[in-house]
Amino acid sequence: MSSIFFMIIQVIAIVLVAPLFDGMARKLRAKLQSREGIPDFFQTYRDIYKLMKRARTGPNCAHWVFKTGPYTLFATGAALLAAIPITYSTNTFAGAYSDILVFIYLGALLRFIFGATSIDSGNPFAGVGGGREQIIGIFVEPVMMISLLVVILLASTTNLVEIQHMVRTGQIGYQTPAFAVASISFLWAMYVEAGRNPYDLAEAEQELQEGVLGEYSGSDFSLAHAALILKQFAMIGLFLTIFEPWNFENPFLALIGFIFKAGVFYVAAVFIDNFGPRFKILTSFKNSAIPPLIVSFIALILYVVGV
Amino acid sequence: MTQVYFLYLIGCVISLLLYKQNRIAGKIGFSISAIASAYAVFYFLMNLGQTSSFSMFESLLYSPKFILNPLGNFFSFVVSLISLASSVYAIQYSQEYENKGSLAVMASMFNAFILSMLLLISSSDVFWFIIFWECMTIISAYLICFNDSKTSLKAIMIYLGIAHIGAMCITAAFLLLASQSGSLEFSSFENVTLSPIMASIIFILAFIGFGSKAGMFPMHVWLPKAHPAAPTNVSALMSGVMIKIAIFGIIKFCLWLPVMQWWGLLIIVVGAISAILGVLYALVQHDYKALLAYHSVENIGIILLGIGTGVYGIAANMPTLAAVGFLAGLYHILNHATFKGLLFLGAGSVLYSTHTKDMDALGGLARKMPLTAFAFLIGSLSITAIPPLNGFISEWFTYQGMIQGALSEYVSSRVVFTISIIALALTGALAIMCFVKVYSVIFGGVPRDQKIFQKAKEVPMTMVIGMFILVAGCVAFGLGANVVVENIMLVISSFSKTYNATNGIIVTSPIGSIVSPVLIAVVIVVSLLLPLLIVKLSKANKSKPRLTDPWACGFKYDSRMQMTASPFTGDLRRLLNWLYKSETKVIDQGYFKPVVYETHAKDVWWSYLYEPVIKLTLNTAKFVAKMQNGNVNAYSLYILLALCLFVGISYII
Repeated sequence: MSSIFFMIIQVIAIVLVAPLFDGMARKLRAKLQSREGIPDFFQTYRDIYKLMKRARTGPNCAHWVFKTGPYTLFATGAALLAAIPITYSTNTFAGAYSDILVFIYLGALLRFIFGATSIDSGNPFAGVGGGREQIIGIFVEPVMMISLLVVILLASTTNLVEIQHMVRTGQIGYQTPAFAVASISFLWAMYVEAGRNPYDLAEAEQELQEGVLGEYSGSDFSLAHAALILKQFAMIGLFLTIFEPWNFENPFLALIGFIFKAGVFYVAAVFIDNFGPRFKILTSFKNSAIPPLIVSFIALILYVVGV
Repeated sequence: MTQVYFLYLIGCVISLLLYKQNRIAGKIGFSISAIASAYAVFYFLMNLGQTSSFSMFESLLYSPKFILNPLGNFFSFVVSLISLASSVYAIQYSQEYENKGSLAVMASMFNAFILSMLLLISSSDVFWFIIFWECMTIISAYLICFNDSKTSLKAIMIYLGIAHIGAMCITAAFLLLASQSGSLEFSSFENVTLSPIMASIIFILAFIGFGSKAGMFPMHVWLPKAHPAAPTNVSALMSGVMIKIAIFGIIKFCLWLPVMQWWGLLIIVVGAISAILGVLYALVQHDYKALLAYHSVENIGIILLGIGTGVYGIAANMPTLAAVGFLAGLYHILNHATFKGLLFLGAGSVLYSTHTKDMDALGGLARKMPLTAFAFLIGSLSITAIPPLNGFISEWFTYQGMIQGALSEYVSSRVVFTISIIALALTGALAIMCFVKVYSVIFGGVPRDQKIFQKAKEVPMTMVIGMFILVAGCVAFGLGANVVVENIMLVISSFSKTYNATNGIIVTSPIGSIVSPVLIAVVIVVSLLLPLLIVKLSKANKSKPRLTDPWACGFKYDSRMQMTASPFTGDLRRLLNWLYKSETKVIDQGYFKPVVYETHAKDVWWSYLYEPVIKLTLNTAKFVAKMQNGNVNAYSLYILLALCLFVGISYII
């Protein structure tokens, strides 16, 4: 039971802090582009709060899948975050929830809701965005799964808590070439799944009019937006848990340590955002997806031949 | 078990006796099969671990004797569970066919279909097994016939053609095995000694034979033709249960024969290919029933991954691997029967109220048919393995088994297992895309055809009940995973060693991973409270949303602007055009009419594998036909030549 308590604590803490890092990232991005940007780091909080106060509009064709969409999106994002063993990192029993496969299939649920709401909204742009989201998933899934598979096979368990423990105590880790190579391809997969700029089509304002979220407004939009930030933190969290799990023993210190690490990643990703072009899905995205796939295969081959 | 069989027999006879009262016959016939199935579900569940037998008409050919062991009980349970739902569903659904054919015959054959499957499972010798196997095939072919349409006859021909090839292989496998053991009784097969080559030949024959019925690649071509053609209650049974009976056969053969490691790997490879190709072809379908049929190919692939792991485990003498493999396979059989039955019933409801199978003509149906939409959504989430619903748990076990297999010391098995795991993961991602499409294009968005939309209404009560029986199954087999696992372990313990797979509400795998669907459900529910809390705390503006047409960049919104099924998968189709070979047709009808744009993906394996054979047969027949010239003298010559030939052969031998 204590692990459920810790899960709630860590989710709430990250929900509270995440917009701060989003604000930092926006400010940094503006500076890199020689713009003034937002006044301070707290702008994302103000944005979300302001949207909460706005009245809502909606398409008259949509049914409850669309209407509950922001709530289910947010809940799935939170459930993803809860699956990352930050504060309950010593409780192997919590592995009954904190499992790599649970994490992946909860991610699938998020994609399902995204797709279903985008078509249900009836908005032509949202539908296109939803379809592209799915394609990206199909590109990324093999890379992510192969990288994770190498880790799973090295650890011979899918229990995230145990995997984290093994990496910390050095039973598995960068001394194994397969693990090291897998971390590279997984970093790519994680970055794409986080929905950041060069690969981001969920929020592709320019060509798709706010893409998937097209028809949301007011509090719905603010929740859906927050859900996206949560998902990004969850994806960074998965990378950190498996490949860089070093942290404090004390649950609360560990939480602070995690938020700091994840925040650094989150903010640093702005550099990639800024200098990467936006990809066309069939040509340049496909081409940029092939090298990580090859890298992940190299990791797998290294494992199979037993290096 | 005799009572169960007897009840179905009564249903079969009574509905035929009421031949003159068409409507009543249908209602009574399907009600009897519903009652029989309800009793059967209860009976088989209670006696899961037991072995029971009965024999009848000792003087009949091969003195028919029926034995149900735990494995047979499990399959009988699955059959009767889906039969229950589709019988209840059919009580009102069958009235659709009142003017198309005799409901009495339909109900009678429906009962006979279920009975033949149950008897097939329990038959204890080769003769009766083959008899009921053929009964099952033929009755289902007749049932497809009820949807008397242009395509149904072709579908039946393809179905029967492939079923014949399959039955031939199965019979050959059985006879080879029987010749080695010296008896047609199944009990004599258990201790038979075989040379490795002979065993492999028998296995390959049985695998092809049963695989053709199961719809594994490349014998899958009949599924997307036959399943959509059948009436819904029948296609739910065909896709949900009948193809599982073939898996039963594969398991049976693997338990008799001295298994070898490469058999397990072969099953896994075929399973992985079936899974990937099944879902890829499903994605580009416009006919939602054909789409679901292709998904059966995919799920049979996933089941084969589990079964293959189990077979490999037996062969490699790794009892825990065998146990988890069979657990995954059997669990997925139960789950797939449940959610595929549900999805077919849901699709049937849509068809019932809209009379079109084309996805692109529907849309917005959730407002007219909320219950069907909900049931279909649960089915979609289950089949895409979303935790904590049932599909997730069985896929989790499949992953665990294959991961354990991939840890083995042989490089060949490492390669096969790891590649198959990736195939399974990719299948998952593709399945999400597919069910997003099928759910939201049918039930979400703006109605594309106002006429169809206006006429659509929620289906009658028994149809809804039929669907919700399976909705309850989807949720219960997910949340109650520990109970299901315990029961399946009871089955597995009858032929293999088991391991301790449950610990309270937690299910465990042999490599030590644990998962608890209840805990997942609790976390998701708690997470759902979070956004509500945030909205409450921030005192969000909860005034009623202002509803308008969707935004269309300032143009007047038209329902044709929204996303439909084929553009949703357009990127994928372009990416994989080498596999689909889709032809795009663009017809320009002048300035004032919309451009007609059609694109249909093809199942290329039909043209690669089947068309050459069919063409060769036709050409040979044409050539041989020249000999049949109606000239009696020529015929006498043939007889004379044949006699000479036989004399010559006998002289040489």
